[in-house]
Amino acid sequence: MRMLGVFEKNERVRHIGHLDIQRAVQRGLRRSGLPVAYSNGFNPHILVTFASALSTGAAGKREIMDVKMAEQVTEQEFLSRMNAAMPPEMQLSSARGVEDKHPALMASLKAGMYEIILREEVQAEQLIPAIDKMMAQEEIQVPRKTKSGIKDVNMKPLIYALRGEGQKIFATLMLTERESCKPAMIIEGLKRAAGLPEEEEVRTLVIRTQLLGERQPGELIPLEEL
Amino acid sequence: MNTMNEKIEAMLEKVQKAPRYTGGEMNTQVKKWEEAPLHFVFCFPDTYEVGMSHLGIKILTGLINDQPWSLCERCFMPWVDMMALMKQEQVPLFSLESRRPLKDFDVVGFTLMYEMSYTNVLAMLEMGGIPIERKEREEADPIVVAGGGCASNPEPISDFIDAFMIGAGEEVMLEVNQVILERKQQGLSREECLKRLAQVEGVYVPALYDAEYHEDGTLKSFAPNCPEAPARVVKRYVDNFDQAYFPTKLAVPYTEVVFDRITLEIMRGCTRGCRFCQAGMLYRPVRERSLETLVKQAETLVEATGYEEISLSSLSSGDYTCLPELIRELMRRMKEKRVSISLPSLRIDSVLKESLEETQQVKKSSLTFAPEAGTQRLRDVINKGVTEEDLIEKARDAFQGGWSSIKLYFMDGLPTETYEDLDGIADLAQKVVAEYFKVPKGERAKGLRVTVSCSTFVPKPHTPFQWAAQDTIPVINDKQEHLREVLKIKGVTFNWHAPHLSYLEACFSRGDRRIGRVLKRAYERGCMLDGWNDQFKFEEWMAAFVDCGLDPAFYANRVRDKDEILPWDFLDCGITKEFLWREKEKSDRAEVTKDCRLGCNACGIQRIKGLCAYADPKRNKAPSPSLVPYASEGGEG
Repeated sequence: MRMLGVFEKNERVRHIGHLDIQRAVQRGLRRSGLPVAYSNGFNPHILVTFASALSTGAAGKREIMDVKMAEQVTEQEFLSRMNAAMPPEMQLSSARGVEDKHPALMASLKAGMYEIILREEVQAEQLIPAIDKMMAQEEIQVPRKTKSGIKDVNMKPLIYALRGEGQKIFATLMLTERESCKPAMIIEGLKRAAGLPEEEEVRTLVIRTQLLGERQPGELIPLEEL
Repeated sequence: MNTMNEKIEAMLEKVQKAPRYTGGEMNTQVKKWEEAPLHFVFCFPDTYEVGMSHLGIKILTGLINDQPWSLCERCFMPWVDMMALMKQEQVPLFSLESRRPLKDFDVVGFTLMYEMSYTNVLAMLEMGGIPIERKEREEADPIVVAGGGCASNPEPISDFIDAFMIGAGEEVMLEVNQVILERKQQGLSREECLKRLAQVEGVYVPALYDAEYHEDGTLKSFAPNCPEAPARVVKRYVDNFDQAYFPTKLAVPYTEVVFDRITLEIMRGCTRGCRFCQAGMLYRPVRERSLETLVKQAETLVEATGYEEISLSSLSSGDYTCLPELIRELMRRMKEKRVSISLPSLRIDSVLKESLEETQQVKKSSLTFAPEAGTQRLRDVINKGVTEEDLIEKARDAFQGGWSSIKLYFMDGLPTETYEDLDGIADLAQKVVAEYFKVPKGERAKGLRVTVSCSTFVPKPHTPFQWAAQDTIPVINDKQEHLREVLKIKGVTFNWHAPHLSYLEACFSRGDRRIGRVLKRAYERGCMLDGWNDQFKFEEWMAAFVDCGLDPAFYANRVRDKDEILPWDFLDCGITKEFLWREKEKSDRAEVTKDCRLGCNACGIQRIKGLCAYADPKRNKAPSPSLVPYASEGGEG
């Protein structure tokens, strides 16, 4: 069986990179004493994957680990033993047992929900009102780094939803293996729409609040429930 | 506080490796500030990655936090990018846990692991809002204490530290904290507090001692200037090593640190008596942890940390009495948990064949041997009791056992070294390579790799070479050039380091009080993080010596007389100066001294009743009246 564990990467550890988060989870699994499955070979490692890598600097409310178990365990046991074994900064909120043939999370992932907090009030006053203006555009061109240099791309088809409130932006953005829209691109688009100079630095705190999958075309639901 | 926190948060977004400054690792305790009356910040004068690889910090923070009356937070030397931001934003150096500036703590404790971290101590004090010079500290400033291996010659850094702890920190630390708590609760003056600290066994308070010098720069006298300070400071020993405090919850860093694994200290001390080895002299006598204790510690730690590797640590792990049994037992219990066992610092004359075969059953890493010198004559001079046959035999065993990677450690610039000795290094490497090819092709592992590493010898205090001169930089350069030539052997990689850092290490390891001025001057000239190649500014150091009118050669390249008062003579670290001089004379004659297990060599430890298992009390005829042995109730020292 496989266990899907929904866990938090809280603000305090948001600077920890994905590789280190992976290792922290591996060590947490080892501490938990749960019957996890190992790979073969000289350096056996626990068979655990993650639905999506979260960037260094971003916090996550409901990230998902996908753990291959060597034996059956109940969801309650997985949850309680993992929470005893993980630091307070990385606690689990739920767990769900699925069969081995359950589709890989990475392949089912469609979108991510984000809360982008603008650190500077002055900037928020300029950027938040620009949301509607930007979304009203036919195309939203933003600079994106590619192999051949920085190129403008149209991110409008990558945005599922976007709204603002006070100093916060709430965004649902495409996040698939093929294509994705990063929170930083939203900020770049809003800067253009608000007429802020490109070189102006906008300090933000990015929190990914939910990963989403698609039940049927157009219907997004939490990935762990798919 | 809030604005400082915001500033820190903003800085963290800009620096590389922000997790160096954020804490919150698994198993780290965060006590509430109000919860404990005494606030201690443990400062490691190097980066997070280096500091968190160090077992001592984990033991001592655990020990202090376990007391209901004290809390311990951590602080590491920030990297240059962070330092620049802190300066720009005027953010003082803060602790990882509560992000308070160092000056808010009652005690600021440094661990001194190597001399070339001293500038970092000054930098951390200044950034933390504490006057660098102890003389300039006022009543409201914290008491700055230091311990660790380098405290065995505290003089070079004594202008900046209020009190040193000599010997085992596990023992003296809490007593020191008690005194500082008394200061806080009874409102004692700084001066009174320091005088009380001086009366704690194993504590050296530099303000209470005066040094006078001859015209030639050597010490004329060194003595206490008040009745509270003892003429000799006697180091502390761990009461019962087997049962000594050990944290059951070891912090597990998120980011990769230098040694990212469980370290089991299986043994303290060493009976071999290598004459260059300061640790071998200072950590006497040899004491082993019992197999039961170690297996229990290993299991507890694996459960608490989730680490995938355990390394056995000691000065000479091969000498641990039940090593094969220990390894077998650990393997048996750890196999299912997929935890591998590694054995560093192997000596080549240990009974290891059996153990080797078991080690590779889980994981194959490279094997390390330390012949230290290339010829038998020079190995006799340094009392490294291994022979060429030993090494070759062990290499053969390793290659036959399926290993293909061997590391050989040597030193250049050892006393009496000649070019013949250097050629001996190449000769040994060549013979090791030949052993590999003697194993039939189908049976040996692929990819032969013999790595020869050579470091420059630094004469250390409390060793028989404390009177010796270090080779000058040009001499070392020539010797290394020669080694590069003769070590052009197929299958052999040669690693060496330019001698400049070792030269400064030699100055500071045997420095006196006056050299502290050079330290401060170098810091003012921008020297910091000297242990990092890209930060090391040798020219600035040399300029600092000139600024202070001191000659580095006086410290590094000068042979001392037998009668000279050495700056660390006032410390009783167990071994006597008489023993060291005897060893020095034997070394001059290339005469070896037997392993303590074959009979007592009367190094001085035998003066302390019941401490050394191999001591012969009959050899304790005439202890110097000034040497007051430290004895505890348990009789174990």
